[in-house]
Amino acid sequence: MTGLLDVKGVSRCFGGLKAVNDVSFRVEKGEIFGLIGPNGAGKTTLFNLISGLTPVSGGILSYDGVPLNSLPPHKVARLGIGRTFQNIRLFKGLSALENVKIARHSRTRAGLWGSVFGFPASHREEQEVKQRAGEILALVGLDNRADELASSFSYGDQRRLEIARALALEPRLLLLDEPAAGMNSAEKHGLTQFIREIRDRFNLTILLIEHHVPLVMGLCDRIAVLNFGELIALGPPAEVQKDPSVIEAYLGGD
Amino acid sequence: MTTAQFLQNLLNGISIGSVYAIFALGYTLVFSILGIINFAHGAVFTLGAYLTYAMAVGQFGINGLLSGLSIPVQLPFPVALLLGCILSGLVSVLIERLAFRPLRNRGGDALLALVSSLGVALVTVNAIQYFVGSEIYSFPPEIYGDIKPAITFSIGESVVVIRTVQVIIFGVCMAVLVSLGFLIARTRFGKALRAVAENPATASLLGISVNRFILYTFFLSGFLGGLAGSLVGTSFGVAGPYFGVTYGLQGIAVIVLGGLGSIPGSVLGGIIIGLIEAFVPPDYSAYKEAVSFALLFLILMVRPQGLLGQSQIQKV
Repeated sequence: MTGLLDVKGVSRCFGGLKAVNDVSFRVEKGEIFGLIGPNGAGKTTLFNLISGLTPVSGGILSYDGVPLNSLPPHKVARLGIGRTFQNIRLFKGLSALENVKIARHSRTRAGLWGSVFGFPASHREEQEVKQRAGEILALVGLDNRADELASSFSYGDQRRLEIARALALEPRLLLLDEPAAGMNSAEKHGLTQFIREIRDRFNLTILLIEHHVPLVMGLCDRIAVLNFGELIALGPPAEVQKDPSVIEAYLGGD
Repeated sequence: MTTAQFLQNLLNGISIGSVYAIFALGYTLVFSILGIINFAHGAVFTLGAYLTYAMAVGQFGINGLLSGLSIPVQLPFPVALLLGCILSGLVSVLIERLAFRPLRNRGGDALLALVSSLGVALVTVNAIQYFVGSEIYSFPPEIYGDIKPAITFSIGESVVVIRTVQVIIFGVCMAVLVSLGFLIARTRFGKALRAVAENPATASLLGISVNRFILYTFFLSGFLGGLAGSLVGTSFGVAGPYFGVTYGLQGIAVIVLGGLGSIPGSVLGGIIIGLIEAFVPPDYSAYKEAVSFALLFLILMVRPQGLLGQSQIQKV
Protein backbone atom coordinates (compact mmCIF):
# COMPACT_ATOMS: atom_id res chain seq x y z
CA MET A 1 0.00 0.00 0.00
CA THR A 2 1.11 3.56 -0.64
CA GLY A 3 0.24 6.78 1.14
CA LEU A 4 -2.57 8.95 -0.21
CA LEU A 5 -2.83 11.61 2.45
CA ASP A 6 0.25 12.71 4.31
CA VAL A 7 -0.13 14.82 7.44
CA LYS A 8 3.27 16.04 8.63
CA GLY A 9 3.63 18.05 11.81
CA VAL A 10 0.41 19.94 11.11
CA SER A 11 -0.70 22.65 13.55
CA ARG A 12 -3.48 25.19 13.71
CA CYS A 13 -3.77 27.92 16.33
CA PHE A 14 -6.83 30.03 17.04
CA GLY A 15 -5.44 32.93 19.03
CA GLY A 16 -3.54 31.23 21.87
CA LEU A 17 -5.41 27.95 21.51
CA LYS A 18 -3.64 25.14 19.72
CA ALA A 19 -6.62 23.35 18.17
CA VAL A 20 -4.33 21.01 16.27
CA ASN A 21 -0.79 20.63 17.56
CA ASP A 22 2.00 19.00 15.56
CA VAL A 23 -0.08 16.08 14.29
CA SER A 24 1.47 13.54 11.91
CA PHE A 25 0.00 10.45 10.29
CA ARG A 26 -0.36 8.91 6.87
CA VAL A 27 -3.51 7.48 5.34
CA GLU A 28 -2.79 4.61 2.95
CA LYS A 29 -4.64 4.04 -0.32
CA GLY A 30 -7.79 1.98 0.12
CA GLU A 31 -7.75 2.27 3.88
CA ILE A 32 -10.67 3.13 6.16
CA PHE A 33 -9.00 5.37 8.70
CA GLY A 34 -10.77 6.48 11.87
CA LEU A 35 -10.18 9.74 13.69
CA ILE A 36 -11.49 9.70 17.25
CA GLY A 37 -11.16 11.76 20.38
CA PRO A 38 -13.21 13.61 22.98
CA ASN A 39 -15.21 16.72 22.06
CA GLY A 40 -12.97 19.64 21.21
CA ALA A 41 -10.00 17.38 20.43
CA GLY A 42 -9.48 19.07 17.03
CA LYS A 43 -10.95 16.41 14.74
CA THR A 44 -13.21 18.69 12.71
CA THR A 45 -10.50 21.37 12.65
CA LEU A 46 -8.21 18.80 11.06
CA PHE A 47 -10.89 18.06 8.44
CA ASN A 48 -11.18 21.79 7.76
CA LEU A 49 -7.40 22.02 7.32
CA ILE A 50 -7.36 19.10 4.85
CA SER A 51 -10.27 20.46 2.82
CA GLY A 52 -8.80 23.95 2.66
CA LEU A 53 -11.51 25.77 4.62
CA THR A 54 -9.01 26.76 7.30
CA PRO A 55 -5.37 27.52 6.48
CA VAL A 56 -2.76 25.59 8.43
CA SER A 57 -0.52 27.46 10.88
CA GLY A 58 2.36 25.04 10.43
CA GLY A 59 3.38 21.71 8.96
CA ILE A 60 2.73 20.11 5.61
CA LEU A 61 -0.39 18.48 4.20
CA SER A 62 -0.03 16.56 0.98
CA TYR A 63 -2.40 14.49 -1.09
CA ASP A 64 -0.94 11.97 -3.51
CA GLY A 65 2.29 13.95 -3.51
CA VAL A 66 0.59 17.32 -4.13
CA PRO A 67 0.97 19.89 -1.34
CA LEU A 68 -2.43 21.14 -0.14
CA ASN A 69 -1.28 23.93 2.17
CA SER A 70 -2.05 26.93 0.00
CA LEU A 71 -4.92 25.54 -2.08
CA PRO A 72 -8.42 27.05 -1.82
CA PRO A 73 -11.25 24.58 -1.03
CA HIS A 74 -12.56 24.31 -4.61
CA LYS A 75 -9.14 23.24 -5.86
CA VAL A 76 -8.76 20.69 -3.08
CA ALA A 77 -12.18 19.32 -4.06
CA ARG A 78 -11.14 19.13 -7.71
CA LEU A 79 -8.06 17.12 -6.75
CA GLY A 80 -10.46 14.45 -5.53
CA ILE A 81 -11.14 15.08 -1.86
CA GLY A 82 -14.84 14.98 -0.97
CA ARG A 83 -16.40 15.49 2.44
CA THR A 84 -19.57 15.48 4.47
CA PHE A 85 -20.40 17.49 7.58
CA GLN A 86 -21.24 16.77 11.17
CA ASN A 87 -24.24 19.11 10.88
CA ILE A 88 -25.71 18.30 7.49
CA ARG A 89 -25.14 21.01 4.91
CA LEU A 90 -27.34 20.20 1.94
CA PHE A 91 -28.67 22.98 -0.27
CA LYS A 92 -32.19 23.14 1.13
CA GLY A 93 -33.68 25.09 -1.74
CA LEU A 94 -32.55 22.54 -4.35
CA SER A 95 -33.90 19.06 -5.10
CA ALA A 96 -32.00 15.89 -4.24
CA LEU A 97 -30.95 15.49 -7.87
CA GLU A 98 -29.84 19.13 -8.13
CA ASN A 99 -27.78 18.77 -4.96
CA VAL A 100 -25.91 15.88 -6.55
CA LYS A 101 -25.59 17.64 -9.93
CA ILE A 102 -23.97 20.68 -8.33
CA ALA A 103 -21.02 18.50 -7.36
CA ARG A 104 -20.57 17.52 -11.02
CA HIS A 105 -20.21 21.16 -12.02
CA SER A 106 -16.43 21.06 -11.81
CA ARG A 107 -16.27 17.74 -13.67
CA THR A 108 -17.85 19.09 -16.85
CA ARG A 109 -16.31 21.04 -19.69
CA ALA A 110 -19.09 23.06 -21.33
CA GLY A 111 -18.54 25.87 -18.84
CA LEU A 112 -20.50 28.97 -18.04
CA TRP A 113 -21.63 30.12 -21.46
CA GLY A 114 -22.63 26.65 -22.54
CA SER A 115 -24.67 26.17 -19.41
CA VAL A 116 -26.37 29.55 -19.84
CA PHE A 117 -27.11 29.40 -23.54
CA GLY A 118 -27.58 25.66 -23.89
CA PHE A 119 -25.17 24.82 -26.70
CA PRO A 120 -25.71 21.31 -28.15
CA ALA A 121 -22.49 19.95 -26.62
CA SER A 122 -23.59 21.38 -23.32
CA HIS A 123 -27.00 19.77 -23.71
CA ARG A 124 -25.43 16.36 -24.28
CA GLU A 125 -23.21 16.87 -21.27
CA GLU A 126 -26.21 17.92 -19.21
CA GLN A 127 -27.86 14.60 -20.06
CA GLU A 128 -24.75 12.72 -18.98
CA VAL A 129 -24.55 14.68 -15.75
CA LYS A 130 -28.20 13.94 -15.04
CA GLN A 131 -27.79 10.25 -15.73
CA ARG A 132 -24.67 9.95 -13.60
CA ALA A 133 -26.31 11.86 -10.75
CA GLY A 134 -29.32 9.52 -11.02
CA GLU A 135 -27.05 6.48 -10.76
CA ILE A 136 -25.39 7.82 -7.65
CA LEU A 137 -28.79 8.56 -6.08
CA ALA A 138 -29.85 5.00 -6.90
CA LEU A 139 -26.79 3.72 -5.10
CA VAL A 140 -27.90 5.36 -1.85
CA GLY A 141 -31.50 4.30 -2.52
CA LEU A 142 -32.90 7.78 -3.11
CA ASP A 143 -33.47 7.66 -6.87
CA ASN A 144 -37.25 7.49 -6.50
CA ARG A 145 -37.22 10.82 -4.64
CA ALA A 146 -34.80 12.66 -6.96
CA ASP A 147 -37.06 15.65 -7.57
CA GLU A 148 -38.05 16.27 -3.96
CA LEU A 149 -36.50 19.15 -2.06
CA ALA A 150 -33.55 18.09 0.07
CA SER A 151 -35.14 19.78 3.08
CA SER A 152 -38.11 17.40 2.96
CA PHE A 153 -35.91 14.34 3.63
CA SER A 154 -35.65 12.57 6.96
CA TYR A 155 -32.45 12.95 8.92
CA GLY A 156 -31.03 9.58 7.86
CA ASP A 157 -31.89 10.20 4.22
CA GLN A 158 -30.26 13.63 4.37
CA ARG A 159 -27.07 11.96 5.60
CA ARG A 160 -27.18 9.51 2.71
CA LEU A 161 -27.89 12.32 0.24
CA GLU A 162 -24.90 14.24 1.57
CA ILE A 163 -22.69 11.20 0.98
CA ALA A 164 -24.16 10.84 -2.53
CA ARG A 165 -23.33 14.47 -3.23
CA ALA A 166 -19.75 13.98 -2.06
CA LEU A 167 -19.46 10.85 -4.25
CA ALA A 168 -20.62 12.79 -7.30
CA LEU A 169 -17.38 14.72 -7.11
CA GLU A 170 -15.67 11.40 -7.97
CA PRO A 171 -13.32 11.70 -5.01
CA ARG A 172 -10.50 9.32 -4.25
CA LEU A 173 -10.39 10.41 -0.64
CA LEU A 174 -13.68 10.79 1.21
CA LEU A 175 -13.82 12.60 4.55
CA LEU A 176 -16.87 11.65 6.61
CA ASP A 177 -17.57 13.79 9.68
CA GLU A 178 -19.64 11.73 12.14
CA PRO A 179 -21.66 9.87 9.52
CA ALA A 180 -23.56 7.86 12.18
CA ALA A 181 -24.63 10.88 14.26
CA GLY A 182 -28.32 10.65 15.06
CA MET A 183 -28.79 7.17 13.57
CA ASN A 184 -30.39 4.26 15.42
CA SER A 185 -28.50 0.97 15.85
CA ALA A 186 -30.02 -0.72 12.77
CA GLU A 187 -29.10 2.32 10.67
CA LYS A 188 -25.59 2.31 12.14
CA HIS A 189 -25.16 -1.32 11.16
CA GLY A 190 -26.38 -0.54 7.65
CA LEU A 191 -23.95 2.37 7.50
CA THR A 192 -20.96 0.11 8.20
CA GLN A 193 -21.97 -2.07 5.27
CA PHE A 194 -22.59 0.96 3.10
CA ILE A 195 -19.21 2.58 3.78
CA ARG A 196 -17.40 -0.67 2.90
CA GLU A 197 -19.51 -1.00 -0.23
CA ILE A 198 -18.72 2.47 -1.56
CA ARG A 199 -15.05 2.05 -0.67
CA ASP A 200 -14.86 -1.07 -2.85
CA ARG A 201 -17.05 0.22 -5.63
CA PHE A 202 -15.32 3.59 -6.11
CA ASN A 203 -11.81 2.54 -5.00
CA LEU A 204 -12.05 5.06 -2.20
CA THR A 205 -9.85 5.84 0.71
CA ILE A 206 -11.94 6.90 3.68
CA LEU A 207 -11.05 9.11 6.61
CA LEU A 208 -13.85 9.32 9.14
CA ILE A 209 -14.59 11.03 12.42
CA GLU A 210 -16.88 9.02 14.65
CA HIS A 211 -17.91 8.92 18.30
CA HIS A 212 -19.71 5.62 18.24
CA VAL A 213 -16.94 3.26 19.41
CA PRO A 214 -18.31 -0.13 18.22
CA LEU A 215 -18.81 1.28 14.74
CA VAL A 216 -15.26 2.63 14.58
CA MET A 217 -13.79 -0.59 15.96
CA GLY A 218 -15.69 -2.77 13.51
CA LEU A 219 -15.11 -0.62 10.46
CA CYS A 220 -11.69 0.99 10.56
CA ASP A 221 -8.40 -0.54 9.52
CA ARG A 222 -6.49 1.96 11.63
CA ILE A 223 -7.37 4.65 14.12
CA ALA A 224 -5.75 7.90 15.20
CA VAL A 225 -6.73 9.34 18.58
CA LEU A 226 -6.61 13.09 19.18
CA ASN A 227 -6.83 14.78 22.56
CA PHE A 228 -6.50 18.55 23.08
CA GLY A 229 -5.17 18.85 19.54
CA GLU A 230 -2.43 16.27 19.98
CA LEU A 231 -2.09 12.81 18.52
CA ILE A 232 -1.97 10.44 21.48
CA ALA A 233 -2.32 7.06 19.78
CA LEU A 234 -2.20 5.55 16.31
CA GLY A 235 -2.69 1.96 15.18
CA PRO A 236 -5.16 -0.89 14.57
CA PRO A 237 -8.39 -0.71 16.65
CA ALA A 238 -7.48 -3.55 19.01
CA GLU A 239 -4.18 -1.90 19.98
CA VAL A 240 -5.57 1.59 20.35
CA GLN A 241 -8.38 0.31 22.56
CA LYS A 242 -5.86 -0.98 25.08
CA ASP A 243 -3.62 2.09 25.04
CA PRO A 244 -3.54 3.59 28.56
CA SER A 245 -3.35 7.19 27.32
CA VAL A 246 -6.51 6.65 25.27
CA ILE A 247 -8.38 5.19 28.22
CA GLU A 248 -7.26 8.15 30.31
CA ALA A 249 -8.34 10.68 27.66
CA TYR A 250 -11.81 9.15 27.48
CA LEU A 251 -12.37 8.42 31.16
CA GLY A 252 -10.50 11.46 32.40
CA GLY A 253 -7.49 11.47 34.72
CA ASP A 254 -5.77 14.13 36.71
CA MET B 1 -59.17 61.31 -9.30
CA THR B 2 -60.86 60.31 -12.52
CA THR B 3 -60.61 56.81 -13.95
CA ALA B 4 -58.36 58.13 -16.70
CA GLN B 5 -55.99 59.77 -14.20
CA PHE B 6 -55.99 56.63 -12.12
CA LEU B 7 -55.10 54.50 -15.12
CA GLN B 8 -52.42 56.94 -16.18
CA ASN B 9 -50.81 56.90 -12.74
CA LEU B 10 -51.07 53.14 -12.65
CA LEU B 11 -49.25 52.69 -15.96
CA ASN B 12 -46.58 55.25 -15.09
CA GLY B 13 -46.10 53.62 -11.72
CA ILE B 14 -45.66 50.16 -13.19
CA SER B 15 -43.20 51.49 -15.74
CA ILE B 16 -40.94 53.28 -13.25
CA GLY B 17 -41.52 50.41 -10.83
CA SER B 18 -40.12 47.94 -13.35
CA VAL B 19 -36.93 50.05 -13.55
CA TYR B 20 -36.73 50.06 -9.74
CA ALA B 21 -37.13 46.30 -9.85
CA ILE B 22 -34.16 45.66 -12.15
CA PHE B 23 -32.08 48.23 -10.29
CA ALA B 24 -32.94 46.67 -6.92
CA LEU B 25 -32.13 43.19 -8.24
CA GLY B 26 -28.54 44.38 -8.56
CA TYR B 27 -28.49 44.99 -4.79
CA THR B 28 -30.29 41.72 -4.13
CA LEU B 29 -27.88 39.54 -6.12
CA VAL B 30 -24.88 40.90 -4.23
CA PHE B 31 -26.72 40.77 -0.92
CA SER B 32 -27.79 37.17 -1.37
CA ILE B 33 -24.25 36.04 -2.06
CA LEU B 34 -22.21 38.27 0.29
CA GLY B 35 -24.78 39.42 2.84
CA ILE B 36 -23.89 43.08 2.33
CA ILE B 37 -25.53 46.08 0.70
CA ASN B 38 -23.27 47.43 -2.02
CA PHE B 39 -23.59 51.20 -1.69
CA ALA B 40 -21.60 51.69 -4.87
CA HIS B 41 -24.56 50.35 -6.84
CA GLY B 42 -26.14 53.82 -7.12
CA ALA B 43 -22.88 55.16 -8.55
CA VAL B 44 -22.81 52.35 -11.14
CA PHE B 45 -26.38 53.36 -12.06
CA THR B 46 -25.14 56.91 -12.74
CA LEU B 47 -22.02 55.76 -14.55
CA GLY B 48 -24.09 53.46 -16.77
CA ALA B 49 -26.28 56.35 -17.84
CA TYR B 50 -23.23 58.47 -18.75
CA LEU B 51 -21.55 55.60 -20.61
CA THR B 52 -24.64 54.92 -22.69
CA TYR B 53 -25.02 58.65 -23.31
CA ALA B 54 -21.41 58.93 -24.42
CA MET B 55 -21.74 56.13 -26.94
CA ALA B 56 -25.17 57.10 -28.24
CA VAL B 57 -24.71 60.88 -28.39
CA GLY B 58 -20.96 61.17 -28.40
CA GLN B 59 -20.31 64.55 -26.81
CA PHE B 60 -20.22 66.23 -23.43
CA GLY B 61 -21.08 69.86 -22.61
CA ILE B 62 -18.88 72.65 -21.36
CA ASN B 63 -17.82 71.96 -17.79
CA GLY B 64 -15.68 68.89 -17.36
CA LEU B 65 -12.34 67.66 -18.55
CA LEU B 66 -13.98 65.90 -21.50
CA SER B 67 -15.99 68.95 -22.63
CA GLY B 68 -15.68 69.64 -26.31
CA LEU B 69 -14.53 66.09 -26.95
CA SER B 70 -16.75 64.34 -29.40
CA ILE B 71 -16.67 60.69 -30.22
CA PRO B 72 -16.64 60.23 -34.03
CA VAL B 73 -18.98 57.26 -34.06
CA GLN B 74 -22.45 57.57 -32.61
CA LEU B 75 -23.73 54.08 -32.05
CA PRO B 76 -27.37 53.13 -32.57
CA PHE B 77 -29.10 53.37 -29.20
CA PRO B 78 -29.66 49.61 -28.57
CA VAL B 79 -25.96 48.91 -29.23
CA ALA B 80 -24.87 51.83 -27.05
CA LEU B 81 -27.21 50.62 -24.31
CA LEU B 82 -25.88 47.06 -24.43
CA LEU B 83 -22.26 48.26 -24.38
CA GLY B 84 -23.06 50.69 -21.57
CA CYS B 85 -24.52 47.84 -19.52
CA ILE B 86 -21.57 45.53 -20.20
CA LEU B 87 -19.10 48.27 -19.23
CA SER B 88 -21.12 48.95 -16.06
CA GLY B 89 -20.92 45.24 -15.28
CA LEU B 90 -17.14 45.31 -15.72
CA VAL B 91 -16.85 48.38 -13.49
CA SER B 92 -18.84 46.50 -10.88
CA VAL B 93 -16.44 43.56 -11.19
CA LEU B 94 -13.57 46.00 -10.66
CA ILE B 95 -15.30 47.32 -7.54
CA GLU B 96 -15.54 43.79 -6.16
CA ARG B 97 -11.85 43.19 -6.83
CA LEU B 98 -10.70 46.51 -5.34
CA ALA B 99 -13.17 47.25 -2.57
CA PHE B 100 -14.67 43.96 -1.43
CA ARG B 101 -12.38 41.00 -2.05
CA PRO B 102 -9.27 42.35 -0.27
CA LEU B 103 -11.33 42.98 2.87
CA ARG B 104 -13.03 39.58 2.63
CA ASN B 105 -9.70 37.80 2.22
CA ARG B 106 -8.43 39.46 5.38
CA GLY B 107 -11.52 38.42 7.27
CA GLY B 108 -12.82 41.98 7.58
CA ASP B 109 -16.16 42.70 9.21
CA ALA B 110 -19.17 43.13 6.90
CA LEU B 111 -19.47 46.71 8.13
CA LEU B 112 -16.07 47.49 6.60
CA ALA B 113 -17.33 46.42 3.18
CA LEU B 114 -20.23 48.81 3.62
CA VAL B 115 -17.88 51.71 4.33
CA SER B 116 -15.55 50.84 1.46
CA SER B 117 -18.50 50.63 -0.95
CA LEU B 118 -19.63 54.07 0.21
CA GLY B 119 -16.10 55.28 -0.51
CA VAL B 120 -16.21 53.80 -4.01
CA ALA B 121 -19.57 55.51 -4.58
CA LEU B 122 -18.17 58.92 -3.64
CA VAL B 123 -15.02 58.51 -5.72
CA THR B 124 -17.06 57.42 -8.75
CA VAL B 125 -19.48 60.32 -8.45
CA ASN B 126 -16.62 62.82 -8.06
CA ALA B 127 -14.78 61.30 -11.01
CA ILE B 128 -17.87 61.72 -13.17
CA GLN B 129 -18.11 65.34 -12.08
CA TYR B 130 -14.43 65.87 -12.86
CA PHE B 131 -14.70 64.41 -16.34
CA VAL B 132 -18.06 65.59 -17.61
CA GLY B 133 -19.14 68.31 -15.22
CA SER B 134 -22.38 68.60 -13.36
CA GLU B 135 -24.68 69.54 -16.20
CA ILE B 136 -27.93 67.77 -16.91
CA TYR B 137 -27.74 65.70 -20.06
CA SER B 138 -30.85 64.80 -22.02
CA PHE B 139 -30.93 61.98 -24.50
CA PRO B 140 -32.32 63.32 -27.79
CA PRO B 141 -35.85 61.97 -28.36
CA GLU B 142 -34.91 60.33 -31.66
CA ILE B 143 -32.75 57.65 -30.00
CA TYR B 144 -35.75 55.36 -29.87
CA GLY B 145 -36.31 55.89 -33.60
CA ASP B 146 -39.24 57.53 -35.24
CA ILE B 147 -41.91 57.09 -32.59
CA LYS B 148 -44.82 59.17 -31.41
CA PRO B 149 -43.95 60.90 -28.13
CA ALA B 150 -47.13 59.65 -26.49
CA ILE B 151 -49.77 57.00 -26.81
CA THR B 152 -53.30 58.13 -26.17
CA PHE B 153 -56.47 56.17 -25.76
CA SER B 154 -59.81 57.08 -24.34
CA ILE B 155 -61.78 55.61 -21.49
CA GLY B 156 -65.37 56.74 -21.80
CA GLU B 157 -65.14 60.48 -22.23
CA SER B 158 -61.67 61.08 -20.79
CA VAL B 159 -58.32 60.51 -22.45
CA VAL B 160 -55.36 58.57 -21.05
CA VAL B 161 -51.92 59.76 -22.17
CA ILE B 162 -48.85 57.56 -21.72
CA ARG B 163 -45.37 58.55 -22.89
CA THR B 164 -44.12 56.01 -25.43
CA VAL B 165 -40.73 55.96 -23.69
CA GLN B 166 -42.41 54.64 -20.55
CA VAL B 167 -43.94 51.79 -22.54
CA ILE B 168 -40.59 50.89 -24.14
CA ILE B 169 -38.84 50.98 -20.77
CA PHE B 170 -41.47 48.70 -19.32
CA GLY B 171 -41.02 46.24 -22.21
CA VAL B 172 -37.22 46.19 -21.84
CA CYS B 173 -37.46 45.67 -18.09
CA MET B 174 -39.93 42.83 -18.44
CA ALA B 175 -37.71 41.09 -21.00
CA VAL B 176 -34.72 41.42 -18.68
CA LEU B 177 -36.68 40.20 -15.65
CA VAL B 178 -37.92 37.12 -17.50
CA SER B 179 -34.42 36.30 -18.80
CA LEU B 180 -32.90 36.75 -15.37
CA GLY B 181 -35.59 34.59 -13.80
CA PHE B 182 -34.86 31.87 -16.35
CA LEU B 183 -31.11 32.19 -15.79
CA ILE B 184 -31.43 31.78 -12.03
CA ALA B 185 -34.20 29.21 -11.83
CA ARG B 186 -33.44 26.96 -14.79
CA THR B 187 -29.82 26.95 -15.85
CA ARG B 188 -26.96 25.06 -14.28
CA PHE B 189 -25.25 28.40 -13.79
CA GLY B 190 -28.23 29.66 -11.79
CA LYS B 191 -28.33 26.56 -9.62
CA ALA B 192 -24.66 26.82 -8.83
CA LEU B 193 -25.19 30.50 -8.03
CA ARG B 194 -28.00 29.62 -5.61
CA ALA B 195 -25.79 26.98 -4.01
CA VAL B 196 -23.03 29.56 -3.49
CA ALA B 197 -25.57 32.01 -2.06
CA GLU B 198 -26.95 29.43 0.36
CA ASN B 199 -23.62 28.17 1.63
CA PRO B 200 -20.35 29.35 0.07
CA ALA B 201 -18.15 27.01 2.11
CA THR B 202 -20.10 23.91 1.10
CA ALA B 203 -20.21 24.99 -2.55
CA SER B 204 -16.44 25.43 -2.55
CA LEU B 205 -16.00 21.92 -1.12
CA LEU B 206 -17.92 20.63 -4.14
CA GLY B 207 -15.39 22.18 -6.49
CA ILE B 208 -17.16 25.47 -7.19
CA SER B 209 -14.91 28.53 -7.23
CA VAL B 210 -16.80 30.90 -4.95
CA ASN B 211 -14.74 33.96 -5.89
CA ARG B 212 -15.50 33.41 -9.55
CA PHE B 213 -19.23 33.23 -8.86
CA ILE B 214 -18.96 36.41 -6.82
CA LEU B 215 -17.41 38.07 -9.89
CA TYR B 216 -20.29 36.83 -12.10
CA THR B 217 -22.73 38.18 -9.54
CA PHE B 218 -21.11 41.61 -9.52
CA PHE B 219 -21.13 41.64 -13.31
CA LEU B 220 -24.86 40.90 -13.40
CA SER B 221 -25.47 43.44 -10.68
CA GLY B 222 -23.53 46.18 -12.50
CA PHE B 223 -25.21 45.28 -15.79
CA LEU B 224 -28.64 45.75 -14.20
CA GLY B 225 -27.54 48.97 -12.48
CA GLY B 226 -26.21 50.43 -15.74
CA LEU B 227 -29.37 49.38 -17.57
CA ALA B 228 -31.62 51.02 -14.98
CA GLY B 229 -29.56 54.23 -15.06
CA SER B 230 -29.59 54.41 -18.86
CA LEU B 231 -33.33 53.80 -19.08
CA VAL B 232 -34.16 56.41 -16.44
CA GLY B 233 -31.76 58.73 -18.28
CA THR B 234 -33.66 58.37 -21.54
CA SER B 235 -36.93 59.10 -19.78
CA PHE B 236 -36.04 61.95 -17.42
CA GLY B 237 -32.54 62.97 -18.51
CA VAL B 238 -29.25 62.30 -16.75
CA ALA B 239 -29.49 64.73 -13.86
CA GLY B 240 -25.83 65.26 -13.02
CA PRO B 241 -23.28 63.13 -11.16
CA TYR B 242 -25.52 62.82 -8.10
CA PHE B 243 -28.29 61.42 -10.28
CA GLY B 244 -27.91 57.96 -8.75
CA VAL B 245 -27.98 59.01 -5.10
CA THR B 246 -31.76 59.30 -4.75
CA TYR B 247 -32.28 56.20 -6.85
CA GLY B 248 -29.73 54.40 -4.74
CA LEU B 249 -31.75 55.16 -1.61
CA GLN B 250 -35.02 54.24 -3.29
CA GLY B 251 -33.40 50.98 -4.40
CA ILE B 252 -32.50 50.19 -0.79
CA ALA B 253 -36.11 50.95 0.21
CA VAL B 254 -37.21 48.50 -2.48
CA ILE B 255 -35.06 45.61 -1.27
CA VAL B 256 -35.93 46.18 2.37
CA LEU B 257 -39.62 46.34 1.49
CA GLY B 258 -39.46 43.21 -0.67
CA GLY B 259 -37.31 41.28 1.81
CA LEU B 260 -33.49 41.33 1.77
CA GLY B 261 -32.08 38.71 -0.58
CA SER B 262 -35.44 37.83 -2.12
CA ILE B 263 -35.53 38.07 -5.91
CA PRO B 264 -39.35 38.05 -6.26
CA GLY B 265 -39.39 40.46 -3.30
CA SER B 266 -37.25 42.98 -5.20
CA VAL B 267 -39.59 42.87 -8.19
CA LEU B 268 -42.69 43.27 -6.03
CA GLY B 269 -41.04 45.98 -3.92
CA GLY B 270 -39.94 47.86 -7.06
CA ILE B 271 -43.43 47.89 -8.53
CA ILE B 272 -44.97 49.00 -5.20
CA ILE B 273 -42.50 51.87 -4.71
CA GLY B 274 -43.04 52.90 -8.35
CA LEU B 275 -46.80 52.95 -7.84
CA ILE B 276 -46.56 54.92 -4.60
CA GLU B 277 -44.47 57.57 -6.33
CA ALA B 278 -46.84 57.74 -9.28
CA PHE B 279 -49.83 58.28 -6.99
CA VAL B 280 -48.26 61.06 -4.93
CA PRO B 281 -50.23 64.14 -6.09
CA PRO B 282 -48.23 66.48 -8.38
CA ASP B 283 -48.28 69.29 -5.78
CA TYR B 284 -46.39 67.05 -3.37
CA SER B 285 -44.08 65.32 -5.85
CA ALA B 286 -41.02 66.85 -4.17
CA TYR B 287 -41.90 64.73 -1.14
CA LYS B 288 -42.38 61.41 -2.90
CA GLU B 289 -39.27 59.83 -1.38
CA ALA B 290 -40.48 60.80 2.09
CA VAL B 291 -43.85 59.23 1.33
CA SER B 292 -42.36 55.96 0.17
CA PHE B 293 -39.95 55.75 3.11
CA ALA B 294 -42.77 56.51 5.58
CA LEU B 295 -44.80 53.70 4.06
CA LEU B 296 -41.78 51.42 4.15
CA PHE B 297 -41.42 52.14 7.86
CA LEU B 298 -45.06 51.28 8.51
CA ILE B 299 -44.79 48.00 6.62
CA LEU B 300 -41.62 47.05 8.50
CA MET B 301 -43.44 47.59 11.82
CA VAL B 302 -45.76 44.75 10.81
CA ARG B 303 -43.36 42.62 8.78
CA PRO B 304 -39.76 43.31 9.78
CA GLN B 305 -38.46 40.72 7.32
CA GLY B 306 -40.08 42.54 4.37
CA LEU B 307 -42.97 41.39 2.20
CA LEU B 308 -41.40 38.22 0.78
CA GLY B 309 -38.37 37.88 3.02
CA GLN B 310 -37.87 34.91 5.27
CA SER B 311 -37.54 35.54 8.96
CA GLN B 312 -34.03 34.84 10.14
CA ILE B 313 -33.65 31.26 11.27
CA GLN B 314 -30.96 30.66 13.84
CA LYS B 315 -28.15 28.72 12.22
CA VAL B 316 -26.77 25.74 14.10
